[in-house]
Order: sequence, then C-alpha cells, then structure tokens
Amino acid sequence: MLVSRPADLALGLLLALALPASAYAQLPAQTRTVVSKEVSVGRTESALRLELDGGDDLAITFDDGSVRVNDESVGSFVVGGALDVAWRELLAQAVALDDGSVRVNDESVGSFVVGGALDVAWRELLAQAVALDDGPLASALVDWTAPAALTGDAAVVAGAIDQALEGALTGAPAQVNAAEPSVSLGDTRSLMRLLLNRDGRLALLDDAFEGIDDAARVEIGADVVIGADETVEGDLVVIEGDARIEGEVGGDVVMVGGTLELLEGSVVEGSVRLADARLLRNQGEIEGDVVEVRNEEPVLGEVREDIRREVVDELRAEIRQEIRRGEDRSMVGPFRSVASAVGGVLENLVTILILGLIGAAVIAFGGEKVDVIAETVRRAPGRSAAVGAAGTILLIPVWVLGFVALVVSIVGIPVAIAWLPLFPIAACLAALVGYLSVARNAGEWLADSDLPWTQWIRKSNSLITMTGGLLGLMVLFVAANVVSMAPFLGFLRGLLAVAGFVVTVAALQIGFGAVILTRGGRRRDYARDAGRYSPDEAWEAAMKVEVDDVVEESGPNDSKASNRKETGDA
Amino acid sequence: MRNAILATVSMLSMAALLPAEATAQLRTVSMSRQLEDEDEVRVQVQYGAGEFSVRAMDAGLLYRMSLEYDEDRYEPVAEYEDHTLRVGIESIRNGFGRRSRDGGRLDLELARGVPMDLDLEFGAVQADVDLGGLALTGLELSTGASQSTIDVSEPSTASMEVARFEVGAAEFVARRLGNLNAARIEVDAGVGSITLWLDGEWREDSRVGIDMGLGSLELRVPEGLGLELRKDSFLTSLDSEGLVKRGDVYQSLDWDEAARRVTVDLDAAFGSVKVVWIR
Repeated sequence: MLVSRPADLALGLLLALALPASAYAQLPAQTRTVVSKEVSVGRTESALRLELDGGDDLAITFDDGSVRVNDESVGSFVVGGALDVAWRELLAQAVALDDGSVRVNDESVGSFVVGGALDVAWRELLAQAVALDDGPLASALVDWTAPAALTGDAAVVAGAIDQALEGALTGAPAQVNAAEPSVSLGDTRSLMRLLLNRDGRLALLDDAFEGIDDAARVEIGADVVIGADETVEGDLVVIEGDARIEGEVGGDVVMVGGTLELLEGSVVEGSVRLADARLLRNQGEIEGDVVEVRNEEPVLGEVREDIRREVVDELRAEIRQEIRRGEDRSMVGPFRSVASAVGGVLENLVTILILGLIGAAVIAFGGEKVDVIAETVRRAPGRSAAVGAAGTILLIPVWVLGFVALVVSIVGIPVAIAWLPLFPIAACLAALVGYLSVARNAGEWLADSDLPWTQWIRKSNSLITMTGGLLGLMVLFVAANVVSMAPFLGFLRGLLAVAGFVVTVAALQIGFGAVILTRGGRRRDYARDAGRYSPDEAWEAAMKVEVDDVVEESGPNDSKASNRKETGDA
Repeated sequence: MRNAILATVSMLSMAALLPAEATAQLRTVSMSRQLEDEDEVRVQVQYGAGEFSVRAMDAGLLYRMSLEYDEDRYEPVAEYEDHTLRVGIESIRNGFGRRSRDGGRLDLELARGVPMDLDLEFGAVQADVDLGGLALTGLELSTGASQSTIDVSEPSTASMEVARFEVGAAEFVARRLGNLNAARIEVDAGVGSITLWLDGEWREDSRVGIDMGLGSLELRVPEGLGLELRKDSFLTSLDSEGLVKRGDVYQSLDWDEAARRVTVDLDAAFGSVKVVWIR
C-alpha cells in the first residue's frame, strides 16, 4: 500500500482493520490446536475463551453491550488533528464512546443489541463451540463468518471478531517485503490500542509524521530488523514496535513507542524522531538530528499539584484539629479522672450490694446447702479449684453432647429443647452460689482477723459475713479505682485491677468446684459437720472450755447437764 | 466424627436462621481441556449447592464440565497447573445468606484410564457420582448436607491405598465399593443415613473403617464375601443377621472359606447398624 501522507496512511490502516469478514477468507486453512476452551453464557455476558497450543489465549466477550478480545482495555479516545478526524469519519457511527460501546480486545469498535442479529449469530457460534472440541472446534471457529444480513456497526464488529478468531487459530504471520515501501499490520490489536487507548500518542503521530515522504515503510505492532545488507529506500516508521538497524535507512527513522537500536555500521541518512520512544543503543551514524517528540502534560501536572495541595491542606486541618482536641483534654483531664474513679468505686459498691442481695436470697433458700459448699471450700480449696477448672473447660462439650444425647430419642427432644437454655443458666447459678460461698468464708476470715475496719463483720449474721467477704474479694477493684484518681499511678492501677481479676477468677473456680463436689450442697464428703447444729461446739465456743475435759470430770452421763452444773458451780 | 456433628449442627442452625434467597440468575458455562501426556493428575472438584454429577468419558479430553450457577453469587473455577486440575465454583460474595439450592448444576466428565487422584468436595448438593472407569489412585470425597449417590460401575484400572468419604448431614449411598480397588476405605459420617454396598470386584482383602455419629448405617454385603465386623459403639443397635459373634467380633458364617474378606471397623454413637445380605 502506497502512502501519500500521514492521515491517508492512518486511514488506510483503519480501513484494513475494518475490512468485512469476507476479506479474511483467504487466510491459510491450517488451524492450531485448542488446548482448552470455555464457553460462557450469562445474563449480560456471553464469552468464548480458548487456550491454544504454544500458550496463546484468545478471549472474545460480549459484555454489557461491548465486545472484548483478550480483555485488553482501550478505553476512550479523544484526539485532535487530521488523523483523528479521519478515524471519526470512518467509525463515527460504529463507535460509541459511552455506554453501549462495542469493543475488540476491550477496544470499542461498534455496538450490538442484545437479541439482535449479531448477538444471535454469536450465540449460535457459541452453541457450536460447546459441542465441539479441538480440531472441529478450531475449524468451526475459523470457518465462521459474519452473517450476510449484518450491516453497519454489527458487520464491523463481526469482522473484527472473525479476524481475531482467524488470527488466533491460524497463527498466520503478516508477511512484509522489506525492500518495498509498505504498510505492515503486525497486530491489529496493537493498532487499536494505539489509536484508542493512548490519546497522547495520537497527538504524537501528527508531529512525528510531519514531512514523512510517500515512500515510507511503516511497521505497526511488529518488531523490525534491518539487516547489515539491507537498505530501506525511504523513511522508516515503526509504531508500537522495536527496531534494530544494522543496515541503511535512506530517510528518517520515526519511532512511536518502543526502542531503537542502531548497531555498528548502520546509517540513517535522515533524522531519528522518537515519539514516546527511546534510543537504546547508538553505535551507528545519524546524518540528521535526533529529535524527541514529546507530549506536554500540563493538565496532568496541574492535577498532581492540585492533589498535593489538597492533601497538604487536609493534613494541616487534621493536625490543627488534633492539637485543639489535645488542649481540651489537658484542661478537663484531672476532673475527668476523678469523676471516672468515683464512678468506678460506685460501680463496685453497687455490684457488692447486688451480690449481697442475691446472697441473702441464696442463704434464705439454700440454708444448709450453702453451709456445706462453704465448708467444702474451706476444707478442700485445692480440690475445689481443680474441679472448678475442669468443670469450666468441660461446660461446652457437656452442653453439646447432652443435647445430642437427648435429641436421639423422641422422648428426649422436648428435654433437649429445655436443655439448651437451662444448662447455661444452671452453670451460671452454680458459679454464683460458689462465689458467694467463697465470699462468706472470706467474710468469716475477716471477722476473725484483727484487721482494721473489720469489726462490723459479725460471724453470727451470715448475710453481713457474706457482704464483708464480697467487699474483701472486690477490695482490689475498689483500690484500683481509688488509685486512678491520682496522676501517674496508671501502672499501679493496672496492677491492682489484674490482681482483683485473678482473685475473682480464683474465687469463681473454687466456688464452682465446690458446688460440683458437693452436688449443689447435697454431698458432705468434704464437709461432714457443716450445717449441723453441734451443741458441744456451741458450748465450747460460748464458754471457752473443752467439753471432753468436763465430761471426764463429771462422768459419762448427761454431759451437757454436767457441764451446766459445773459452770453454775463455778 | 465429632467435628462432623458439630459442623452439621452449626450448618443446620445457620440455615434455619437465614433469610430466603431471591430467585437466582443462572449462568451456563461449558469448559474442556485436551488430554495431553498426563502420567497422573490430581483433580480437585469444589461445588457448593445444586445438582452434581461425575462420569468417565472417552472423548480424548482430560475433562469436560458443564456448569449452571448463580452468577451473582459464584464464579466458575477451572485451573490446570502442575498436573493439578481444579474445577468447580467459588463463592464471590462474603457474609450471610442462604445458598441457593435450586437450579445450579455441575456435570463433570473425567478422562477414562488416566491415573487420577480425585478430591471431591461438595456442600448442600444432590450428587450422582459414577466413578466407574476412572483409574483412581486416590479418592477423597467430602460432602455436607447432601443427598449423594456414589457408584463405581466399573472396576478401577488403578489401585489406591485409601479411599476416604467424609459425610456431614447426608443421605449417602455408595455402591460397588469393591470396584474402587482400595486397600482401605474410610467413612466418617456425622448425622444421617448411610448405605454402603460392599459389592463389586474386590481384588484383595480390604478394611472398611466407619466412624459414625448419629444416624443409621446399612451394610449391604454380597453373599460369598467374608465379612468381619468389629464394633465399638455407644447406644447403637446392631441387626447382625447372618453374622456370628466370635469373641469381640462378628463374622459371616463363611468367613473362614471366603475368597475375599472385608473387615469393617465400626465406631458409632447413637444410631443403628444393619447388615443386609444381597444375592
């Protein structure tokens, strides 16, 4: 193809791209092996994806009114100049720049209507592809041509699809005669990319092609090698490809994208123009100039500057706000910490009060059972703790397995339904009763101790004993809150809170274990005498004498009467 | 087994709590790959919900898969790399939501005679799997709340050490297990009804390990096959027709004379076990 001027050259290329399907019918019939295929038909998308021998892929997709090949996105094209005008004149009706565009390799080349002739033809092809494998499939795809009924946009798109199928499945390379001025369309997709995706390059083309003569050899989307014994008579234009020159070029060398290598002995009689390209090696002779054709990017630069300015402003505002917040905090800080601490202490006291009330109810209704649990805690704290820990670990497994065991039988199903909520409730109650029992023991210990502020705790009143014990168990939490009023004692506060937590957990474990050991206060293995009135012990406690000694002195009969007598005599 | 029970209970609870699914938009996909010089392939199949089938084929393909699925919720998977084929669907949406059980379908055909380590994993599906004709060197089948029928209609041309079936809450039927040509078959069942047909061509004496949680197990045994049942169970009834108890084990009457023997190690809790002899 002879080229008279740049716009005509581009127009020629575009026409080549837009050739109807019939123009490709002369390609070699030999087909490549389809290694794997995927045919996909969805609500908005229908697609054919092929993996060919040699690792090549081909994907043609109709999606949301667009056609894509190999999912290569081109996007919008906004260009100026004669080339762009020529492109628009040719494809203005076929290419929609907005929604509903039809694309090849995600490159817009037209549009299709869902359910229209093109869509139907494509789906018919897909239907064939589902049933065929490898050879037959490849042949069917190569043989496919756009239906004659297609016109306008649809015909163009169909031609592009047909071309993509032919190209991928026959792998027919474009032949170029290096000795003659020619246009070589190495890869149509490259041209599409060039024209549609890279707006800047379209503008570059105008500048780069300025003054290019009629005898230019143009290579698009393909690498060029000019051997040592080769001569290109006119200009050499390489678009979207690399050039390696060892021989001679009679005119200019224009590179749009890619890299140029001038090896030793090479001669370029004209200039070298690099449009978004680079000169990788220059060991040859360039008689003209080396000109870099660049796109100015004022808009991009401005956008960057705007973004930078916005980010800086945003950061400054953020920092100013943070400083103001810090000042506010510093002014109310001391009051805030005191208020928080007082709130914490009140919270502790309310907790103790609530637990005390629950304890009263437990003592009222539990009575002797609580005594047995408390006695077990006192006599076997280690065993209780171990059983409590084991019980805690086994809670969930027992809950689940119990449910499964119950649900096996029809009779058990209603019980299983009740089991699900009742078991956790029972476990919580057991832990609570155990904790209160521990608190009662703690209260008794405090009553016996000589510690200050404990005189109000009287062992004769179980409720007061338990409340005193609760206060003892939670005193660490109270202390932590009190300490938090003072500045710089955060560490001590944390330490006290952790210690309080440990004490609480230990009390819960021991108490829960004691509840389990005593089967809820019914077994007295570890608290044989608990909850039973012992006149001897009461007498000993009241009179501070050893009953056995008195019995020995007064004889074996009616020890209590003797004791009373002895005491009266005294 | 316990895990299976827990998983099943959780799954059923979740399913009961979740809202109903809107009508699914189904997408159809057909995929295939040429059979090359594969010495052995590992095939991993993953399918969540719907109908599922597997067959052997002679089309010169490694696999051929036909899929229908909810395109708003899933995406197809077909990867082949390092002699490993991964096919099925994957969820593309996180969060809660009842999985669509209607309409989805996966039909998979695998190359006959190619040594294959097969890993099938499916959830709430209605599975119809025929492994006959496949040259299985390994088999792992894992299913959730499904209604699954596994058949080995033809003897496997390869042998395997262990075939594993992990069944959640399911109605699971496996036929002609002898054709698997496995030295050991392991079944881990959670809740449901399990029927194992021990017919087919047993090429060597084998062991079948069954770990069953809650449900019923039916062993269908062809006459002439020596069966030994070792039972470790809790609250499990045994209908041991045709078996005699010798020590701690139950043996078929012809155990000593049988040409092929299968030993079943049964670990079961809550359920029933029934042995049915077939002619």
